[in-house]
Amino acid sequence: MKNRLTVFLFVLLSALFVLAACGEEANEEASSNGDAGGASEETTTREVTHALGTTTIEGKPQRVVTLYQGATDTILEFGVTPVGVVESWVQAPMYDYIKEDLSDAAFVGQETQPNLEEISALEPDLIIASQIRHEEIYEQLSQIAPTIVNETIYDFKETTALIGEALDEKEKADSLLADWETRVGDFQEKVSSVENWPMSAAVLNYREDHARIYVTGFAGSILTELGFEAPKDLQGDDLEIVKLTDKESIPQMNADIFFQFMEDTPAVQKTFEEWSAHPLYQNLDAARNNQVYKVDEVAWNMAGGLQAAHMMLDDIYEHFEIEQ
Amino acid sequence: MKYWTFRLFQEKISFQFSRRWLVVLLSWILVLGGVFLVSLSAGSTWIPIHEVFQQLTGQIDKHAFVVETLRLPRALLAILVGAALGVAGLILQSLVRNSLASPDIIGISSGASLGAVTFLVFGTGVVSLQFLPFAAIGGGLMAALLIYLISWNKGVTPIRLVLIGIGISAVMKAGVTFMLVMSETAITTKSYIWLTGSIYGASWGDVTSMVVWLLIPLPILVILGRSLNITELGDEVSISMGVRLQVERFIFLMCSVILAGTAAAYAGGIEFVGLMAPHIARRLAGRSFQGLSIVTALIGAFLVLLADLIARTLFLPLDIPAGVFTAAIGAPFFLYLLFQNRNR
Repeated sequence: MKNRLTVFLFVLLSALFVLAACGEEANEEASSNGDAGGASEETTTREVTHALGTTTIEGKPQRVVTLYQGATDTILEFGVTPVGVVESWVQAPMYDYIKEDLSDAAFVGQETQPNLEEISALEPDLIIASQIRHEEIYEQLSQIAPTIVNETIYDFKETTALIGEALDEKEKADSLLADWETRVGDFQEKVSSVENWPMSAAVLNYREDHARIYVTGFAGSILTELGFEAPKDLQGDDLEIVKLTDKESIPQMNADIFFQFMEDTPAVQKTFEEWSAHPLYQNLDAARNNQVYKVDEVAWNMAGGLQAAHMMLDDIYEHFEIEQ
Repeated sequence: MKYWTFRLFQEKISFQFSRRWLVVLLSWILVLGGVFLVSLSAGSTWIPIHEVFQQLTGQIDKHAFVVETLRLPRALLAILVGAALGVAGLILQSLVRNSLASPDIIGISSGASLGAVTFLVFGTGVVSLQFLPFAAIGGGLMAALLIYLISWNKGVTPIRLVLIGIGISAVMKAGVTFMLVMSETAITTKSYIWLTGSIYGASWGDVTSMVVWLLIPLPILVILGRSLNITELGDEVSISMGVRLQVERFIFLMCSVILAGTAAAYAGGIEFVGLMAPHIARRLAGRSFQGLSIVTALIGAFLVLLADLIARTLFLPLDIPAGVFTAAIGAPFFLYLLFQNRNR
C-alpha cells in the first residue's frame, strides 16, 4: 500500500515537472509577441475606454476591420471604408445597401467566428468588435491591432460614439448623433397630430415554424425613442424577443400597428398566411384597423447601424405619410 | 495475438504490449504528426513546412503571430481535447462493460453543457468568460455525482449507472433547452456554437490550463489502469482477483468526468469522439487497457485535429466550428472498419 503511494507521488511529481517546463516556454512566447507592436509614427495618442478595458490608439486609423454588422454600417458614415468586414446575415456576403461602398473590403469570415488569420493578414490599425460576440478572442485581436469593443451589437448610438473616439472624429460622431436627434424630434413633433397617438407598435417576424415579437433590441429601442409604446400585453415585461410557437399566443402580439418582416420562402409565407388567417389574429387591433406594414428585414433587424436606423425612420415617416 | 508484459516498480505498475499494438501506435503517431504539421502550415496563408520549422526553431520570425499565437495553440488544444474525449469514452466503456457508453450518452457532457450554457446566460457581461471552463467542469462533475449517488445501492452496478446516466442526461438536456429558450438571441447564438464545439480562439493559456487538468487523471490511469482489464471480466471475477471494485469504479468515473469535463470546458460540446475513438482503437489494437488508452488518445486527437483543420480551411475565409466535422470524419472510417471485419 505504502509502496503504491510512493509510486503515485513519483509519477505526479514528474508530471508536474513536465508541466512547469511547458509553462515557462509559454511565457516566453507571450513576451516575445508583446515586443512586436510598438513602433509607429509620433501622432496624437488617445486612450479609448470600452467594454473590455482601455485601448491606446495612435493617430487616425486608416486600415480598420469591423467585426459586426452595426460597426460596418456605421463606420461608412464617417467616410472610412473598412479594409475587412464580416459577412452579412442575409444577402451574403454583404447587404445590398452598402455592397457598393464595400466593394474593396475583404471578408474575414462570419460575425460569430471571424477568421483571425485573415484579419492579421490585412495588417489593420484598428479593430472594432463586440463583447457579446468576441470576448474570448479579445486578447488575440489586441495582438493584431488596437481593438475597441462595443458592449452590444444593436446599440447604434454606442457604436457611433465609440467609432468616433477611436477614429479621432469625436465631433463628427457628435454631429451624426445630433442629426439623428433632430430627426427624432421632428418625427415626434409631427406625429403628435396623428389620430390615436401615442400608439403601441409590435415588430413581428414570421419563421417556418413560429412567429416572433421583437420587443427591445435594435428596432424596439428605436420605436421606443420615437414615442411608440410596447405591444399591449407585453408592456413592462422587459423582454427582448418573444417567441410564439403556438397560435394560441397570438393575442400577445396585440398592438395598434404592426411592422412585420419575413424571409421570402414558401414555408415562411405559409406560416404567415396561416397565422394571419386565424380568428385570434383577425381580432387584433392592428389587423382590424388595417395597420399592418411590411418592412425591410435588413434595415429593421439585421444591419443594426446608424444608416439602418435612418432607413428605418424613413420607413416609418413613409407609413405615417408625414413630410420629412 | 501475442502479448509481452512489462512490470515496473516491484510489479506495482505493469503494461502489456503486442507487436500489432506497437505497429498501430507508431502509425498513428506518424499520421497525427503529419496532420499536426499540415495544420501549422495550412490556413488563410499557406506557410511552407520548412518555414514552419524555421519559425518554431527561431531561425525566422515573419510567421510568429500566425504560427505561434494562432495555429500552434489551436492545434495543441485540438490534440488535447481529442485525446481527453477519447480516453474518457474508453474508461466509461470499460467501466460499464458496454461499448455504447460515452460521456455524451451518460450525462457527463450534457452536465457540462448545462453548466456552460447557464454561465453564458447569466454570466455574459457580468463575469469574465475566462471562468467558463469552471462552470463546464462543475456541471459535468455535478451530473456525475448525481448519477453516482442515485445509482448507489450497496455499491454501483454498471447497468444502473448507464440507465440512470441516460436519465440524468435527458434532464440536463432539458435544462439546456430551457436556458436557450430563456436567453437573448446573441447569447443563444453563442450557446449554439458552444454546443456544437469549437477550438476557435485557442490561446496558450487554454493549452496550459488544459494540461494542468489532464495531469490529475494521468497518474491514476498509469497506476490503476491494469485493473480495468480485470473488471471487464465481471464483478465477481474482479472481486475474487482482489480489485477494490467500488472504490476503483468511483475513481475511474471521476477520471472520466475530469477528462470529458475539461474537453467540454475548452472546446464545447464536441460529440462522437468519446464514442468512436475507443471503438476504432479496439478494432486496431487489441484489448489491454493501457495500450488501448494511448491509441485511443491518438485517434481522438487525430479526429478533432483533422476536424478543426477542415473546419477552418475548407470554406475560407469562413472559420466553422470543428464540432460540425468530427462525426463526418469519424463515422465513415468506423463504418469501413466494421465492414472490413464483418466476417470475423
